[in-house]
Formats: sequence, structure tokens, C-alpha cells
Amino acid sequence: MTDNRKPPRQKILIVDDSEINRSILADMLGDEFEIIEASNGLEAVELINLYGRKLSLVLLDIIMPQMDGFEVLARMNERKWIQDIPVIIISSENTSQFIERAYELGATDYIQRPFDTNVVRRRSLNTIMLYGKQKELKGLIEDRVYRREHEQSLMINALSHILEFRNGESGNHITNVRKISEMLLNTLAKNNEKYKLPQSEISLIALASALHDVGKLAVDKDILNKPQKLTAKEQEAVRAHALRGAEIIKQLPYASDEPLIKHAYEICRWHHEHWDGSGYPDGLEGDKIPVSAQVVGLADAYDTLTNKRVYKEAVPHSKAVEMILNGECGVFNPDLIEAFKSVAGTLQTNLRLSSLEDL
Amino acid sequence: MTLENFYEVIGGDYTGTKSRLLTDERILRFVTKFPADESFKNLEKALADNNVQEAFRAAHTLKGVAGNLGFNALFEISQEVTEILRGGSLEVSAHMPKLKQLYNLTVENIANL
Repeated sequence: MTDNRKPPRQKILIVDDSEINRSILADMLGDEFEIIEASNGLEAVELINLYGRKLSLVLLDIIMPQMDGFEVLARMNERKWIQDIPVIIISSENTSQFIERAYELGATDYIQRPFDTNVVRRRSLNTIMLYGKQKELKGLIEDRVYRREHEQSLMINALSHILEFRNGESGNHITNVRKISEMLLNTLAKNNEKYKLPQSEISLIALASALHDVGKLAVDKDILNKPQKLTAKEQEAVRAHALRGAEIIKQLPYASDEPLIKHAYEICRWHHEHWDGSGYPDGLEGDKIPVSAQVVGLADAYDTLTNKRVYKEAVPHSKAVEMILNGECGVFNPDLIEAFKSVAGTLQTNLRLSSLEDL
Repeated sequence: MTLENFYEVIGGDYTGTKSRLLTDERILRFVTKFPADESFKNLEKALADNNVQEAFRAAHTLKGVAGNLGFNALFEISQEVTEILRGGSLEVSAHMPKLKQLYNLTVENIANL
């Protein structure tokens, strides 16, 4: 009767040009492993290609005909196999240069001939165990990070929705602004040396953009939801949301040094500034406006145009793009306008996709 | 012939080999494979062809196998040959007769095990 419950045995590839050496190693490792053998580097590379991550370990000789062990390591680096498959070098070469080179090429361990049963067994088992643990941990961390991000995103969406409800904004304004900002920043970073932001910084600015209108909490709800044209005084009250938002962020009793909070402050305060200095509240111009605020300003303008408000109808995508490019929504940084032009084509699809993702 | 006698005759190290390979059964299994190993034949052929790289690899393999099996005398002489060949020189004629003699002695005595 066969026993089907046994897990499949782990595979070890033994690469050595001598049959005796291979069989000594195989014998030392014992029955608990499935042994695969190669008698030179070329065969080894073919077998690694065939089995891939199913190999738990490679025991590798260096001096061999056809292709030597260093070359095998080099190929494993080229194809990134070395990250997932541990290699123990087994060689009678013992100069430090030789050993150093093997380690530099990514070998995990080095066992010197003549073989000692216990040394070969222990080191092989330890290496397999460590790599197995590492793989397991990596999986765990990836799951956690994913769950964290998902929950964070849900929380932001919920809070955003509350804010939108209060401010009389439609549907997905905050998530849209976040997505558009992210697209613009990615494009800027890719196409323009001047805005070479690391990915982490881009995510941070996109995240902080969710707070851009937080200052509207300090603005009278009736003014925000008034369908008719605003009086000069009312307009002033609405415009105050930029400074009020910045104050709210600044008064956070903790974390004022955090980059996220710094970005949120810039965005709240300056997302209505214009490149030519005609915006509010400070009339900043050009590069004095932080890039985070510039990007969110444009994203905000586009999304407000394309959605209905109590005081205005929605404008179609193509018309909104045209208005922004024509300067009808204020003057933007020409580099930013270039970036906007290149994302405009895929903007609608991406916004639809991201709203589905968040469901 | 016992394994201990065998190692004594061929200038090997029985105690060391036993401590690494652990059982007589295992030592015997691999020692009796030695005559089928082709590295000595390959070494002679490569030397006849003046192919120093092939000769180096064959000598290196012979050295490795001899080391693993605890054939110390054979290991040492093949190590000397390996190092000369590694430097790119084919001048191993001073060592080859002794290497051949030790190799033959080893193979002949394996037949008596």
C-alpha cells in the first residue's frame, strides 16, 4: 500500500563532474531528499531552469568541464534564481580569493572537501530551513502589508465620504483627486529630471491630498451648499478654507515633523495658488508653490469641472481638458500641463478602475 | 583483505575516512566505485594531447575523489600535479610515474576487498 499523505520530498541538485563525489553526497544527505544530479555547469543550468523554485538547494562544485561553478552562479544571478534557490559551494579549492568570489556571486555557504557526513548534512539542512523560513516570513509580511493598505484605504475613503457629504461634493471627489495627483506625479517624475520624486514620496503626497479641503469644515455649510452666485463676502468665506485647513493641520498635537503632515499642510494652504501669482491665499508664484500643492490644485480643478455641484453642472471630460489647457481655470506650471496632457487620454478609464478597486 | 589493511597498503587514512563517512559499509561502497572513475584516464589522455586545461580539470577531479575517499598518498601526488597544470605548464613528467604507480596499486588492491 502506498502512503499518499507524505509530503513530496524536497529536491536537491548536486552538481559535480565526478560520479563518485555525487553519490557520496547523495548518500550523506539520505533518503529524505529527492536528489537530482548534473555532471557539469551546462546541465546544472538546464535543470535549474526546469525545476526553478522547486529546488530547495544546489550543492555546487566549481572546477568542472563545459561550464564551471562560477559561471553557473553568474547565470543564476542573471536570471535572479539566486534570490530563491540557495547554493552551497563544495570544493577542494581553499584560497580566500576563491571563496570570496563564490560568496560575492551569491553562494550561501562553502563546504570544503573532503566531505564530512555530518557537516554536509547539517549545513544543507540549516540552509534549507533558513530559506524556507525566509520564504514563509516574506509571504506573511506581504499579506500583512496588503491588508494594512487595504484597511487604510477603506478608512480614508470613509472619512473622505463624510467630508464630501458635509461639503456638498459629489461621489468620489477625494479619491479622484488622490488618483489624478498620483498619475500626474508619476508622469512628472518619469519625464522630468526636476521632479525626480521617489515612489514613496509620490504615495505620501497622494495620501495627503485626501486632506486638501479639510478647511471647509470651518466654512458655513449654507454657503458651501448655496446654489446661487456667492456674494463677495461669501466668496471670501469659502476661500478662507485654504488657510483654515492649514491651521487645522498645523494644530495637530502630534507628528508635526512627519513628511505626510508637512505635505498635507502645503496642500491645504496652497492648492488654490496659481503659477502666475494670481491665486490665494498668499499669491505665491512659480516654483515657490510646492509641487504637491500644484499637482493637487490641477487634480482638484479637473475633478470639480467634470462633476456636478449645487451651483453648477458637470462639464464633459474633453471640454474640461480643453478649459484647463486654455488657462480658463488659472495658470498652471507648464511642466505640469505637459504631464496633464500625457495622462488626459487614460484619465477617465483609470478613475473608473480605481473606483471599482475600492469597492 | 580488510578495509584497514587496504588503507595501510595504499598509504591512505582509514581513521579519518571513517570519521567522515561514518560506516564501513559506506566506505566500501564508494571505494569499490573508484576503478570506474575516469579522471585518471582523462588525465593521461589530456597530457598525451597536450591539452593543459583538460589535464588540469582531470587532475583536479582525481584529487577531489582521492581526498573524499581518504586515499592520502594519491591525493597528495595529484595535488602536486594539479598545481603545476593550473599554472599552465605541462611539465608533470617528474610526477606522473609515481602517480600512475599509486593509482594502479590502489585499483589492484580494491579488487581484493
